[in-house]
Amino acid sequence: MPDLATFQLAFATAMCGTRTRGTLEGQPGFAVYRNTTPVALAETLRANYPVVGELLGDALFVETAFAFARHHPASDPVLLGYGPAFPAFLAAQPWIADLPYLPDVAAIERLRTEAHMAADASALGLADLAGLGTEHWPALRLRPHPATRIAWLQTPALTIWRAHHETPGFETLSPEWRAEGVLVTRPSGILEVHALDAPMHRMIFGLRLGETAGEAAAATASTYPEADIASAFAALVNAGALARPASLERN
Amino acid sequence: MTPTAGLGFKPCHFDEALAEPAAGLWFEVHPENYMVDGGPRLAMLRALREARPLSFHGVGLSLAGAAEPDRVHLARLKKLVDEYKPMFVSEHLAWSREGTTCFPDLLPFPRTLEALLRVARNIDIVQHALGRQIMIENPSLYVALDGHDFSETDFLRQLAKKTGCRLLVDVNNVVVSANNLGFDPYLYLDALPVDAIGEIHLAGHRPDPEHGDALLIDSHDSPVSEQVWALYDDLLDRTGPVPTLIERDGNLPSFAELMVERERAAALMRTPRQQVRYA
Repeated sequence: MPDLATFQLAFATAMCGTRTRGTLEGQPGFAVYRNTTPVALAETLRANYPVVGELLGDALFVETAFAFARHHPASDPVLLGYGPAFPAFLAAQPWIADLPYLPDVAAIERLRTEAHMAADASALGLADLAGLGTEHWPALRLRPHPATRIAWLQTPALTIWRAHHETPGFETLSPEWRAEGVLVTRPSGILEVHALDAPMHRMIFGLRLGETAGEAAAATASTYPEADIASAFAALVNAGALARPASLERN
Repeated sequence: MTPTAGLGFKPCHFDEALAEPAAGLWFEVHPENYMVDGGPRLAMLRALREARPLSFHGVGLSLAGAAEPDRVHLARLKKLVDEYKPMFVSEHLAWSREGTTCFPDLLPFPRTLEALLRVARNIDIVQHALGRQIMIENPSLYVALDGHDFSETDFLRQLAKKTGCRLLVDVNNVVVSANNLGFDPYLYLDALPVDAIGEIHLAGHRPDPEHGDALLIDSHDSPVSEQVWALYDDLLDRTGPVPTLIERDGNLPSFAELMVERERAAALMRTPRQQVRYA
């Protein structure tokens, strides 16, 4: 009898193979083991990428998910975050030219998955800032809330994602072909998805890098002279994108 | 509260689960579904824990693997156990990790002496890390393997003896394995060390679409079968009342329907038994 490690390796190799003869592979029940892993991983991908599933249709989604699972086996028994490489995998599919926005739609769904699992923290509100004199605002070092995720996408993927998320089965849509920014937040435990314009994107990007509010505002104003900096900042705060600094914690 | 019969928790039943007044009701969760940094999942678990006792039924430790349990995974489990203080922590007599690959499955192995020593060592590691006793569940089996040195019941008995762990008897798994591998489920249950049994699982199965009744799948997508109820009734004659869980994962019915099955188990637990026999 081989030792346990040798047995496991042989069993795992047989599961991933396609042989149907042999003392193990020849048994009808071996197909149960062969199917369980790809089916479970494909179901996880469907849960994590529901709009991608809808856009691809059942047959193509399952085929693509199985192919992904073969190339990207799980490396963690916790499957909640499985499939971070799925958007890039979609981008490499031969048929992707017909659905050029699909990897970006997948990227939005990935941001939602990450936001869902992120740590808890209090979100900064305008009321917190009101208690602090405006002269102190520029020096504030504000950080994104742990659940905040941002992306700048080269396709109108947010418009497409939103149409399908809000109305499953939605079919007719002719979005203006332009880049879109997306902001995912979780200020009160529920995921929110917001559009992010270029000034807002620059500002929160700077804050994430460690700029003070004043530095981020000045850099944003310099890059986007037309932008209403105060509105962009207020929109970020209202979306719950920023964490309340410890110095502003309410008693 | 004395826990009687419980339900596998489904997030879609959260509101009804919290509002349900049934005495002795408890919930079982897979801790892997709550290994996140924060957010709504943990908020739900917190609320559930405030309302009812919980049982953690792990699927990721790969105890029947040659390697020791993954330290990162074990640390995450310990964090959850320390915070939520479940009444039970259980895992499976199976492996699910080979090298860096994790299989979302519960895989079989030859029950050799070497395997016994390795599984016992892995259980020791987990019990030591968690600072508490765990329970080990009998698996559903789909293929016959060569090279067993122990029957499954002897293997479980030895594990309980060597590590002090207790046993979680999944009656549906016994029915599925007995059917697929050709043994008598009553003889299997009779061979279990009764005093080590700390929890019982009841679930549904279905015939394989291609092979029919010759190959039963532990699918958890149908009500508990009458055969499982009959075996459970028989097992209770020997064990007396043991906390019992209704597991349902697929074709999910209403919470109320699950509570009907749960009440059937609770009623069987309340039934006075002629004689409680101990092995």
